[in-house]
Amino acid sequence: MKNLVGLTLLIFLTSAGYGQKFFTKNGKINFDATSSSSPERIEGVNRSATCVMDAKSGAIQFAVLMKGFEFERALMEEHFNENYVESNKYPKSEFKGKVKDADEIDLSKDGTYKVKVKGDITIHGETKEVETEGKLVVQNGKINADAEFSVKLSDFKISIPGLVADKVSKTAKIAVSCSLEPLKNQ
Amino acid sequence: MKRKKIIRYILVSLFVIVAAAALYIYKEYNRRHKDTASLKPDYSTEAASFIKEFENNEKAANKKFLDKVIRVEGVVKEVVKDEKGFYTLALGDTASMSSVRCNIDSMHTKEAVAVMKGNKVAIKGICSGFNADELLGSDVILVRSVLDQKK
Repeated sequence: MKNLVGLTLLIFLTSAGYGQKFFTKNGKINFDATSSSSPERIEGVNRSATCVMDAKSGAIQFAVLMKGFEFERALMEEHFNENYVESNKYPKSEFKGKVKDADEIDLSKDGTYKVKVKGDITIHGETKEVETEGKLVVQNGKINADAEFSVKLSDFKISIPGLVADKVSKTAKIAVSCSLEPLKNQ
Repeated sequence: MKRKKIIRYILVSLFVIVAAAALYIYKEYNRRHKDTASLKPDYSTEAASFIKEFENNEKAANKKFLDKVIRVEGVVKEVVKDEKGFYTLALGDTASMSSVRCNIDSMHTKEAVAVMKGNKVAIKGICSGFNADELLGSDVILVRSVLDQKK
């Protein structure tokens, strides 16, 4: 209970003095490990990623449940969860980072802004730094955030069994797409 | 003559085994997810108590509910339709930031279209876990969800 009070206070204190926050609970994350020799697409999509972004500081965070990735083929989804990302052991993946030079962008104005995002991504219990380009589209007080980047599966200690090694790509393409709304009651 | 018969017997059984294995692999490879509408729920619960169970002990709740078919009753507090037409229904108390978020199976979008904020509904879905967040509120996520008409 004491922790909770402290935490609430901390959140209150840290959010005061910062800019407007934007969020979504319906962020889309696409995971694509199709290799050039795959007979079909190895692709899963998660529609319930959460994302919070602070418009002023540019701090941005994502969280996603690994079991929420949906694959067309049931077997592929089972393999993804059981053999590759071990989602029982590591249920969540996260990204914590920053939009570079966020103070130079006025997100209260409609427009399309190309940005660079840098931060730490945690998948399968392993954390790696990533940097990618993204796009912020501001329209009517909402922000559409899109980014695409690749991760090397071996960086996250995800091993692909020899039998399917030529079917599953060694790098996975990750595409993120969020429609962020202003967070009220800050 | 006898030896020939044995060889033929072996060859035929080998062929049957290989064919059966190939059929199994083919079927398993192409296996689709079962329609949640046809699945019997492993647990039936109510949105607020479902969330509470995760808040109280996430580990135990994960063990109990993950990958299981859950039937949740609750009041719709948010209807989200994304740009591709996929629906998400959030169930729970409007006073709380937390909810049970149900991603509606695209095969069952039709049933979700009529649902409005404030409706009391029952939804069956596969539990994919708990996304705890102090700022945004913590959610239990159900995927491949369908509206359960039976009261």
